[in-house]
Amino acid sequence: MIVQEIVAKALEKAQAAQAVMVSQETSAVDFENDRLKSAESSQRTKIDLKVIVDGKVGISSTTDPRDVEGVVQRALEAAQFGSPAHFELPEPQALNPVEIFDPAILPLEKPEMIRMGQQMMDMVKSYNPEILAGAAVNKNLYKVEYANSRGASYSAEHTDFNVGAAGQLVRGTDILFAGHGIGQKKRAVDTEAIAAQAIEYFHLAEEIAPIESGEMPVIFTPSGLAALLLSLALAVNGKNVYLGASPLRDKLGQQIASPSLTIVDDPFVPYGPRTSAFDDEGVPRQVTPLVEKGVLRNFIYDLDTAGRAGAKPTGHGSERRLTNLVIEPGQTPYAEMLRGVEKGLLVHEFLGLGQGNPINGEFSVNVFLGYKIEHGKLVGRVKDVMLAGNAFDAIKDITAISQEREWVSGPWAWFNGLIPHVQVGKLSVTAK
Amino acid sequence: MRDRLTAALKAHDVEYADIRVEDNLNTWVNFQGPDLDSIGSSRTVGGIVRALYKGGWGYATFNDLDDLPKRVREACITARLVGTGTTYWAPTDPVVDTIKASLVKDFRQVPLAEKKALAEEYNRIILGHHKSIQTSAVRYADYFKTLWYANSQGTYIEEEKPDTNLLVVAIARDGDIVQNGYETGGGADGYQSVENFQEKARSAAQKAVELLAAPPVSGGKYTVITNQDLTGVFTHEAFGHLSESDFVYENPQMQEIMTLGKRFGSDELNIIDDGSLPGGLGTHRYDYEGVPTRKNYLIKDGILVGRLHSRETAAKMGEPLSGNARSVHFQHPPIVRMTNTYIDQGKTPFAEMIKDIDLGVYAVRSIGGQTAMEMFTFSAAYGYMIRNGQVAELVRDVVLTGNVFETLQNIDCIGDDLAWEPNGPGGCGKGDQHPLRVGLGGPHIRIQNCVVGGQQ
Repeated sequence: MIVQEIVAKALEKAQAAQAVMVSQETSAVDFENDRLKSAESSQRTKIDLKVIVDGKVGISSTTDPRDVEGVVQRALEAAQFGSPAHFELPEPQALNPVEIFDPAILPLEKPEMIRMGQQMMDMVKSYNPEILAGAAVNKNLYKVEYANSRGASYSAEHTDFNVGAAGQLVRGTDILFAGHGIGQKKRAVDTEAIAAQAIEYFHLAEEIAPIESGEMPVIFTPSGLAALLLSLALAVNGKNVYLGASPLRDKLGQQIASPSLTIVDDPFVPYGPRTSAFDDEGVPRQVTPLVEKGVLRNFIYDLDTAGRAGAKPTGHGSERRLTNLVIEPGQTPYAEMLRGVEKGLLVHEFLGLGQGNPINGEFSVNVFLGYKIEHGKLVGRVKDVMLAGNAFDAIKDITAISQEREWVSGPWAWFNGLIPHVQVGKLSVTAK
Repeated sequence: MRDRLTAALKAHDVEYADIRVEDNLNTWVNFQGPDLDSIGSSRTVGGIVRALYKGGWGYATFNDLDDLPKRVREACITARLVGTGTTYWAPTDPVVDTIKASLVKDFRQVPLAEKKALAEEYNRIILGHHKSIQTSAVRYADYFKTLWYANSQGTYIEEEKPDTNLLVVAIARDGDIVQNGYETGGGADGYQSVENFQEKARSAAQKAVELLAAPPVSGGKYTVITNQDLTGVFTHEAFGHLSESDFVYENPQMQEIMTLGKRFGSDELNIIDDGSLPGGLGTHRYDYEGVPTRKNYLIKDGILVGRLHSRETAAKMGEPLSGNARSVHFQHPPIVRMTNTYIDQGKTPFAEMIKDIDLGVYAVRSIGGQTAMEMFTFSAAYGYMIRNGQVAELVRDVVLTGNVFETLQNIDCIGDDLAWEPNGPGGCGKGDQHPLRVGLGGPHIRIQNCVVGGQQ
């Protein structure tokens, strides 16, 4: 493998080295404004090299597999001024078997992908011809190769398949966007269900429901839960913990959320969108409970941060990215949850998420797609409404979690995971 | 490269094809807290072929430059799969041009050790500023990008695009309250643009410390004054994206909303996008389809007079070319994007603008903005209450949101103090193309009845 060749070359001057190469082939079709707009073939290669020279780290990358000399030389130069390594590269280890490759994706050609997109678009158009419909289907084959100077060497072939439908409806100066999509590592996908879900968002939004400002119960849809998970993800990031920026830094083992909340980061979900056996530092992936019955269980660490913090690496890669977030289902059927709300808000998408001070938990977002709940029913879409609060307060105030869960996934999602509807007791809603 | 691209394009059998190749050398130094977080460099080489056939696009993107004619054929086959309608493609005169970088101090000649020492000094200033400073981030990056562009109509452009940028962030903590202060710097003209930043680093740290004691603004409807940076973000987010004609050209209802000749604001309101502005962050001599950039009025004297186009959207709408097809990276085809967008200078001095406001918010700088056509939201880095015509106490968590059509009508005062946001990392995101360098500018403006988010 090229990665072993690069590691060998780097070891002429370095004491330790690791190389990762990702090679991928992508096919994509894209429908916009009611028509097939473009299709694409894409070939990508990237090599990342990390070296340790006299205890200091240098990194470099290239897109050219023939540029072995160049990538090695630039990493060695950077190492002269690099930060001290607080870690050793991992030894070879046994990997958990994972389901990440579906051979059924290989023969899938663009004409079939076009047919799938067209079918979803036709469904949206037949629901309401005034919607400007769009769809996207893409498949991605990629190979990850890893090698380091302690003899660890892994390779994995992945298939990704992403399918989505969306639309835009303009009435007067009112513009509504909605859509739904799925990203996974297998081909079997229900395009009709995806289009039906996108249509459902439009259907529920047919009426515009005025809402008064005040505090009220709020139900987060699986994708809407990003408003709370974003802060949690930042706060469990080992780097933020180590730097003292995480408000959860000293709360391991403590109750930080309602006892009904259990969140596990699970990289082994079969064909899950972020499933894999090893990370880009050669650390085997592992199941990481983040919150168990409301108690904070773990932070996530890369090799270097773990070394600095005196913790163990958790297999989330050098960038400390969560894999598949799995939230335990609750006791309440979703329909019952809805029925229990006299006056409240169901929130699905936001504008301005991540602005402000998300690590503190504070959010103040425009509800881009949300629905008013009145007497236990969704009565219409809300407009010009801000939702504000603190994510860490909100997860303590969870009053119900639905039995049903949905995958939030795909390149368009804020995070990937299997997520229920979550109801929070009270949040502040400001209407214009 | 010209011969290679021209030869490869001979393989095309469609109505139009072009090819763009980029070589990007990037060096960075990142400090986070007291530690050097990352230092390194990367080289990215690759390209994209676009083929247009009966209104359908085929794209081929690649890192491997070996067999360019094969990529051209691939894109053409794909375009033929897609195209079933009519091609719209505005003509423009073919150009052949070479644009060389002009650097006062060439960052490629600056040793990595010096770049590290520079970032380290700024980082030390922040960490040593005050006992409440919890941590810091300093990010230095430079890019030397070379682009080669050729199309099947005879255009060939070779362009060097250098960029140096710096971000310094101070994070202060008091109990559970964490606040940030930041400053950005840099430019297209060389390494000197990130030197002598010590004062800015100090002021970022000072702002983070001050914000710890500032209360969150209470949500509600206020008369709001935005400072120049924030006016720039507002103009870009709230209005600029509506002027991107790819949202409009196949959408009859949007066309009705954005009918040229319609009034959008007061006589004093002028909004301009100018890709030819000297020294702007979004400045190019040509866009990514070989169209010369120019100064485009979007709103003139309060009336909608123009919009931003690619060659496809201009032809489809029968409007003049504006030179706004841009791409963030060779893995993406160009789409309609803004360049340097601003509200033009008005007549009102700041003191005049504020003096009649009994209770209002002065919102300063921006830490992000997002839009969904009519709805926008953007976050100020911080703000001050306005009381009895005076700038009063510092407040945090100032988020502005609203409907663009109403908000533009609600601008009742435009300042006489046009300024541009300084360089820094980041830029505009659209679709999956992020971050694209854009210039944001404007004077102070006053907005009546603006919703400020926050807990009540």
